[in-house]
Amino acid sequence: MDNLILVVILPLLAAFLMPAMARTSEVLARVTGLMVLFISIIIITSVWGSVDEQAVSYAIGGFRPPMGIVFYIDQLSLLFALLIPVMILLFWPWNKVTHIREYSLMMLLTASASGLVLSGDLFNIYVFYELLAVASYGLVVAQGRAGKKGEGAALAASLRYLILGAVGSVMMLIGIAIIYTQAGTLNLAHLALLAPEKLNNMAGLSAFALILIGVGVKAELFPVNTWVPEVYGAVSTRLSALMAGLLSKLAVIVIIRVLVLLFPQPEALQLMTILGMLGVISGELVAWRSRDMIRMLSFSSIGQLGLVFVAFSIPGDMGLMAGFAVALHHLLVKPALFMLASGWTGPLESLKGAAKQSPYIAALFVLLVMSLLGVPPLPGFWAKLLIVVNLASQAAPVYQFALAFVLIATVIEAAYLYRVVMILYHPNQGQQASVREKHKAFELVIASGAAVILIAVALQVQSMETKLSSMARQTGDRQHYINTVFSKLDLADIYHQNKVQQTDFRSNNQLQGSK
Amino acid sequence: MTMPGIEVVFYTGAIGLIVIGMAGVLMVKNVFRMLLALVLLEAGASLLLILSGFRETGVAPILLSGHAAGQLMNDPVPQALVLTAIVIGVGIQALALALILRIKHRYHSLDMGEIREQMEHDIAVNSGVVSPASAQSPEPGGHHHG
Repeated sequence: MDNLILVVILPLLAAFLMPAMARTSEVLARVTGLMVLFISIIIITSVWGSVDEQAVSYAIGGFRPPMGIVFYIDQLSLLFALLIPVMILLFWPWNKVTHIREYSLMMLLTASASGLVLSGDLFNIYVFYELLAVASYGLVVAQGRAGKKGEGAALAASLRYLILGAVGSVMMLIGIAIIYTQAGTLNLAHLALLAPEKLNNMAGLSAFALILIGVGVKAELFPVNTWVPEVYGAVSTRLSALMAGLLSKLAVIVIIRVLVLLFPQPEALQLMTILGMLGVISGELVAWRSRDMIRMLSFSSIGQLGLVFVAFSIPGDMGLMAGFAVALHHLLVKPALFMLASGWTGPLESLKGAAKQSPYIAALFVLLVMSLLGVPPLPGFWAKLLIVVNLASQAAPVYQFALAFVLIATVIEAAYLYRVVMILYHPNQGQQASVREKHKAFELVIASGAAVILIAVALQVQSMETKLSSMARQTGDRQHYINTVFSKLDLADIYHQNKVQQTDFRSNNQLQGSK
Repeated sequence: MTMPGIEVVFYTGAIGLIVIGMAGVLMVKNVFRMLLALVLLEAGASLLLILSGFRETGVAPILLSGHAAGQLMNDPVPQALVLTAIVIGVGIQALALALILRIKHRYHSLDMGEIREQMEHDIAVNSGVVSPASAQSPEPGGHHHG
């Protein structure tokens, strides 16, 4: 377990060493990056078996919590710690001549993303989130779409994304300040211990709202998602796939962790439901109006992320399970769809008869789209079913509204996806069919891989369900988090320290009623 | 929580900076001024964070040998956090400034509305939805068949 910290340290080190190494040997620098990713994957798979029902915490540098910073390793964080290097490797920009800076940014992304999911300290999460943000602003500029109009669009999209992201970060920082004022600590487990008493009030709720909107920028949450179509339209589909698939989910995980551990009040969940359902409906409506594939997929991604938020806002473990199902399903399907879209640029009408030209690709597209929509035997159906059933079983009126919104959005989604499929299978060829650029081999490999996984999951629904529900139970168990991070000795220490602190630092920091 | 005396002034200042910064980011059209508003916003947030550990009668949190036990100290944790936040903020502002410079070279404008229009046009041209010649706004117009 000790070497798990290398998953953050090695890519971070590589990110800053690679440009220097490239001065002596370009090849060496490139190989280093790949090596680090492979080592990360090996490290994580080696600890894979040791985390199941019982999560593990690791105090960095041997400083015990709540003073030191901990890594919290459970099924959720380990799964994403594995997905990060794997996805980065899949979307590694190796088939073209790229500046070493871009590889460096990719390594920075890996390091900060891994830190983000593993960290058990609120401020540490903020720092990793900012690092992730900076890396993604840089990548948007570096991976602008080819073509003479590409660079300007990428620059402008990056700046607009940066300003929105920076405002979001400040909101998150204000939220953290409020939490610190209320509870006097930033360790997530310590906060979880104090939350029912210190954060179960209006100040706590406003802190959650600020963190939700702040982190929501990356998670494509409803009012702060204006960057999505601009950035995905301006960058290569490779980066869009990575951002829509992986980075948005990382932000969602931060929100879920904070929500589960710190904010017990039902208003927090309902706020998320409302923003989620507005995201679903607005995303799908604009996707329906869009005239080219990538724009359509960007807005559909906003809609799907809205669905993820609606799912996670259902109280209890079932909500978490539904959320994981939709989030992981989107993580699998959307990058694959972006890969297919990269060969199908131009207005949708120009894709007429594309199925005749490339029947295999069109069939892949139909399969992925059917799962996205939720056609029965495919995994997407089970994910959507979980949401619908659990929304229906909630008494609060906001969930009934959410149910209606989700169903309406699904109809809209069906309408525009059906339209695209009809265009693809149109008997007449479009005019631009001959000049259309071909799909690259790796794009097809990734899309095929996603399709194979989809079918495999569809055949193994039962065992997937057990895994997801075990993950949901563990993530939703606040006491488990506290007991994992703190030993009995630590808990006694905290109690003692808080009494001392009361005279030293703070007057409102006493631990009452804890064991 | 009671906030006597000087703390009220500080809190008002912090919240005032946040409000000014937020209003600036939302209402100003010039991207450079927008960046300056962002600087104000970050300063406000930092001040708020510092205040969360501020004690009016507190002393610097340094343990000296002759120190009377139990004396009220300012909380050092928020100060360390703000130091980090400031460094991050400066980095991001520098990045934004570099982007603004390059955008100015390319689009010859600092007006966010104009930059956005040109960007959307470029995106639409690049994805083949409009032809490069048309200077019209590329926002998806009317015709779609459902």
